[in-house]
Amino acid sequence: MRAQSPATSWGLLSPWIVAFALFGLYPFAFSLWASVTDYSPIRAGTQFVGLANYGRALADPAFWTALANTAFFVVGTIPFTTALALGLALAVQPAFPGRTFFRVGFFVPSVVSVVVLSLIFKGLYAGQGPVNAALRALGLSAPDWLLDPETALPAIMAMDVWSASGYYMIIFLAGLEAIPRELYEAARLEGASAWDRFTRITLPLLRPTLLFVLVVNTVRSLQIFAEVFVMTRGGPLHRTTTVVYYLYEQAFYRFDLGYASAVAYLLFAVTLGLAWAQMRLVRSEEPTR
Amino acid sequence: MRSTWRRMWIGAWMSGLAVLISCAPAKQEVVFWQFWPVEVVQPLIDKFEKENPGLDVRMEQLTWQSGLEKITAAVAAGNAPDLCELGSTWMPRMLAAGQLVDWSAGVADLKSGLRGWELCAVGDALYGLPWVMGTRALFYNKTLFARAGLDSTRPPETWKELEEAAQKIQRLGGQVRGYGVQAGERYVLFKKFMPFAWGNGGRILSDDLRSSEIDSPQNREALDFYLGLRKVGLMERQDVLDRMFKSGQLGLQISGAWLVRSIPKDAPGLRYGVALVPRPDSERGTHASFAGGEVLVSFQQSKRKQAALQLARFLVRPDNALALAMAVQTVQPATLGADTTAYYRGNPEQLVMIRQFETAVPTPNHPAWVDMEEAIEDEVEQALHDRKSSAQALADAHRRLTELLAKGGR
Amino acid sequence: MSGTLRRWIWLGPLLATMLFPFAWMTAVSLAPVADLSLGLPASGGLTLEHYRALFRTAAVSRYLVNSGVVALLVVGLNVATAAMVGYVLGRRRVPGERLWTLGIVATLMLPKQVLMIPLYLVLARLHLLDTYAALVLPFAVDAFSIFLVRQYVSGIPLELEEAARVDGASDWRVFRSVILPLLKPVLAVVAIQSFLTNWNSFLFPLIFVDSDRLRTLPVGLALLSQTEHSVDWSFLMAGSTVASIPVLAVFLVFQRQILSGLLAGAEK
Repeated sequence: MRAQSPATSWGLLSPWIVAFALFGLYPFAFSLWASVTDYSPIRAGTQFVGLANYGRALADPAFWTALANTAFFVVGTIPFTTALALGLALAVQPAFPGRTFFRVGFFVPSVVSVVVLSLIFKGLYAGQGPVNAALRALGLSAPDWLLDPETALPAIMAMDVWSASGYYMIIFLAGLEAIPRELYEAARLEGASAWDRFTRITLPLLRPTLLFVLVVNTVRSLQIFAEVFVMTRGGPLHRTTTVVYYLYEQAFYRFDLGYASAVAYLLFAVTLGLAWAQMRLVRSEEPTR
Repeated sequence: MRSTWRRMWIGAWMSGLAVLISCAPAKQEVVFWQFWPVEVVQPLIDKFEKENPGLDVRMEQLTWQSGLEKITAAVAAGNAPDLCELGSTWMPRMLAAGQLVDWSAGVADLKSGLRGWELCAVGDALYGLPWVMGTRALFYNKTLFARAGLDSTRPPETWKELEEAAQKIQRLGGQVRGYGVQAGERYVLFKKFMPFAWGNGGRILSDDLRSSEIDSPQNREALDFYLGLRKVGLMERQDVLDRMFKSGQLGLQISGAWLVRSIPKDAPGLRYGVALVPRPDSERGTHASFAGGEVLVSFQQSKRKQAALQLARFLVRPDNALALAMAVQTVQPATLGADTTAYYRGNPEQLVMIRQFETAVPTPNHPAWVDMEEAIEDEVEQALHDRKSSAQALADAHRRLTELLAKGGR
Repeated sequence: MSGTLRRWIWLGPLLATMLFPFAWMTAVSLAPVADLSLGLPASGGLTLEHYRALFRTAAVSRYLVNSGVVALLVVGLNVATAAMVGYVLGRRRVPGERLWTLGIVATLMLPKQVLMIPLYLVLARLHLLDTYAALVLPFAVDAFSIFLVRQYVSGIPLELEEAARVDGASDWRVFRSVILPLLKPVLAVVAIQSFLTNWNSFLFPLIFVDSDRLRTLPVGLALLSQTEHSVDWSFLMAGSTVASIPVLAVFLVFQRQILSGLLAGAEK
């Protein structure tokens, strides 16, 4: 048997290493450097400030508010998005009349740009808008979603679950497709129930995909920005300010990119920690035997 | 063989092109970034190029959303445009960064003809040219006035009249509301509340920008009045208030010229009027409002500073600034005396905006201004949501402003 | 059959809810301007005038073409890089693979608001600003896609490759004839998501490109429908509806590929 040649591997990788170094690593390194300086994009003369930016962030209650909001957002959306995406994928995977119609339909929310979507939802969530009209017809309370400090963030979270599920649905679909049919056949012959087949075959074999969805969705959710920018500008009462929105204001309204980079790296640390924890939890490194 | 022929062919073309290019007169290209629609600004550019044959203008339109990011990145990379339009909110930081060209000498002769110089001044030096201005005024619905038994030709001029009018309209019931209180949108609330404070003689900072004067009896009175308006109206976001006003459900609100522009399109039958922001009393205070605008600046890194200044001076000429204002209708020219032009004489609502400039107050030109505005909006918002009393809100605002001043504003 | 009916019964309402905002967008784009669009697009009949206005603007077709060209280039590069790099990582063919993967995924973890300026600096120094390259090169290597393929590959049994190698096939042959066909479903997903992300991308195309002739659709639409304090709703909704169509088309084409896995057999 021929040995797997590392030369081919590096050969395949080399152009991408160059591109990665230029467009992936350099900005990263630059931001790390900026985070220990007082770099401002519009001002000449940058000075080294050590960990002062980090200290400032950790001492700023606004940063912690943003972090708390972001944490709430992540915890409140990931489980729902993941479950909904998986459920939809399972529902539209088998062949049945109209399957393509449903697939496309569930995917549609992801198709529109997030800015336009946020504008649309801003209108839908208005005090006299259609969402409230429907709620009132059902006899439920209809708060002014984006204006009430208690409901603003949940409203944005609902929109996020709605728009992201279809997107992750197709990833789960691809993962489901990789599972050999024979396994299901064999299990059915042995009399396993649908639930058994799901928990014993589907879930374990879906682990790599599940991990992917969790990690990627978490990383994305920790960086929520556009929805907040369009719909609430971080208000009311800072209840929808996320970490990225907070650092955006620092970077572009105060032109303090050094500080913003430090905040970004603090977020990076949190994200890395979470991703690593998820990888450990789901533990899907081994290929199937 | 084939490739040699091809190379010769290409070579011939290239030399031909080179000859053509070198024959053309060397034109200087001025890069100009601005925010208004191309079809509005391009005619002005064409006119400029005709009057200045040696200059070519490359105009690029920026988006209101993320336009600032683009300018920032360009400045950071040494790629800034030669001439750039900046909003008044961003000016204090830009001025403090020292990246703008000092135009004091180049625009001295224009000083007496324009307003808004405080937006681009640091001490006696001028770093920009005011192009167009924007402010906020009182919008009132004449039909609702009549229904409520008010004289629709006499908009409220004092706080008391405002409150009474709002109350009477509020009593009409149904979907109708009296006064639209801004609900605490970042970068908007400030412009809807401060007019009352300024009109009452209240201030934010001292003249020398060294101390906070926000916690004053005048401001407290203004904030109490503003909070009280909630009882005779409703609290909502600006776009909702505008929509309600257009659909005839809102009696009074403070808004801007964009409403004047959109009403004929969205609500052609609406009978409304625009008036100066009411003052505390017929005997005291002023009809103050917020003064903002768009400024033309050039950056130190530009290699065409002279041409940029030429273009800027051209754009702020009364006829050109007027052309822009007439086309977009959401701003008015910074030219003094624009109110005497036929256009504004024939447009009473826009005319009020210009009159409002005379008593409009610019925001302090302190580098930490963005933080200060945020602090004030935060505290007022807390009071609006009944989390704090007005006295507590202003005391806290004072504390925060003092902290910001102590930091020196980087 | 009753199974299908049941499926329709509980999937139908869910679909309707999911589609509502999109339907809203289309409804607003078809409603006359006089309707105050933040409320329900009220009665008053349908009109195509916003779409006509959209296409009367010559720039729009140019924006569409730019977006299309750039998206196709980026998708091609993404699929190629993701397949190769994802495979190499998924098979642990390089030392420190775990670290590489983590490193690649880590590039997703810094928000683009801070990465934006250094990226701009790089492009400026390479004199690539205001070119197609600026819209394509920085996005050619996509960490998301690489990670996705890597995960997928790590789930493919090794036996298939080993069998081919025993037969004396070279690495490249193995990759091309054995692995690539198996990767079709995940590469279809990469194509879809990469097209989607790039097609709707706003911030970077805005920043890296100045000229109108290189402008992409989201930026162009924003510029055409913006006024200082409000949005030309009807125009923007018409533009957005039109912008959604290519993405849906790409999805329709590629989603079949998701199902063409070699191991697909009889359905339940």
